[in-house]
Amino acid sequence: MMRTAISILQKDLRMEFRSKESILAMWIFSLLIFVIFNFTFEVSRLVMLEIAPGLLWVAFVFSGMFGLNQSFALEKENGNLRAMALMPVDGGEIYVGKFFSVTLIMLMFEALIFPIFIIFYDLQLSLGMFRLIPVLLAGTIGFTSLGTILSAVAVHTRNQQILLSLLLWPLVSPIIIWSVTLTGMILSGEVTEAFYPLLLRVGAFDVIFFTLSYMLFDFILED
Amino acid sequence: MRSKIDKILLIILLIAFSVSIYLIFQWVPQIKASNPAEQIAQRIFYFHVPSAWLGFLAFFVVFCASIAYLATRDRKYELISVASAEIGVLFISLVLITGPIWAKPVWGIWWTWDVRLTSSLILWLIYVAFLMLRRYLPDGSKRANLSAVVGIIGFIDVPIVYYSIRWWETQHPKAVMASSEGSLAAPMFFAFMFSLATFTLLYVYLIRKRYQLLTLEDTLNKQFKEMEIL
Repeated sequence: MMRTAISILQKDLRMEFRSKESILAMWIFSLLIFVIFNFTFEVSRLVMLEIAPGLLWVAFVFSGMFGLNQSFALEKENGNLRAMALMPVDGGEIYVGKFFSVTLIMLMFEALIFPIFIIFYDLQLSLGMFRLIPVLLAGTIGFTSLGTILSAVAVHTRNQQILLSLLLWPLVSPIIIWSVTLTGMILSGEVTEAFYPLLLRVGAFDVIFFTLSYMLFDFILED
Repeated sequence: MRSKIDKILLIILLIAFSVSIYLIFQWVPQIKASNPAEQIAQRIFYFHVPSAWLGFLAFFVVFCASIAYLATRDRKYELISVASAEIGVLFISLVLITGPIWAKPVWGIWWTWDVRLTSSLILWLIYVAFLMLRRYLPDGSKRANLSAVVGIIGFIDVPIVYYSIRWWETQHPKAVMASSEGSLAAPMFFAFMFSLATFTLLYVYLIRKRYQLLTLEDTLNKQFKEMEIL
């Protein structure tokens, strides 16, 4: 049933592993964000600890735009978008395939940039950091579930890149707010009892955004 | 296209606005506040809150019209959603302008990242993006589909944004003390409801006019196209 989704996912991942275009661009861009941040805000270590979670998510979100933009721009290049629209499958399946490829690429990038983040900002590694995994997962899925459908919307415009940011950022702000809060709890080592309900809430909104996009994706493909 | 209903609506609106301005500036008793500026600034409330209501109403109409469009593919609904989004952005802009005018004398600052302020700003950004998306797309069914999808996602997102910011705000110390909100005195309540009704009527009038204008533009474009073919 999900064969189309799986083929799209395989194709996207194969392309990414061969060219490494998205991940590399995202990684370098994040590095640049850290560097620029260091020059623009000279802060003490104490303040740094407070703003680190925000900085991490700024890097994720800004760099994530690369992956999202790329995802459909590549399809458009050789008229593949049109071919996809003509495929006799449910649009939702194409969404699922694209969603997973974008999400996996972004998660890999996050895994690669996180050690750099730890080193640059001299954060203490601890076992509690494992709790970051579900947080990054939930936050990233929220970002990419809306991002995938809006990227498919924006790809039809002339100013694809700016428009995707304009559409996506206000809509995804709840996910980012919560992810930053959760990340902050972990990095500061003060995981309160509010942690798991909040994480669950992000997960719940991920499901809402995903389902909504899945249902609406058909309308985006048709002419 | 000048229908009778529009004329009647316009006359009612002119009268209603005159009355509500009288009510707001003359009839409603002065509030008890130590700060004289606050007594005057408070009257902006009768414009500020109805504008916000109108913005929400307009975006709700965008949401409904978007669903109706995707269900029926009737161009009528596309035009309604655009007209409503434009009016919504206009009135949320008014909210974002009148708010700080009130806040400066009362809170002492123009802006604070309070839940209502922040979520209004994000709401404004969502619908500005909606209108910009339409500008960047060529006219046609593709544009209609894409904007309907964004119209639906945008509206569903609104309560989530509000909810998340409220949550975030409670994590932070409050920057300012919100003025104590008691229940409204009877004359104030009346003036407020009157203003609310007037604004709602204004919305009806504006969307009718904007919709007519968009339909006219449509007809004109069609005729141009036909002439080009000939």
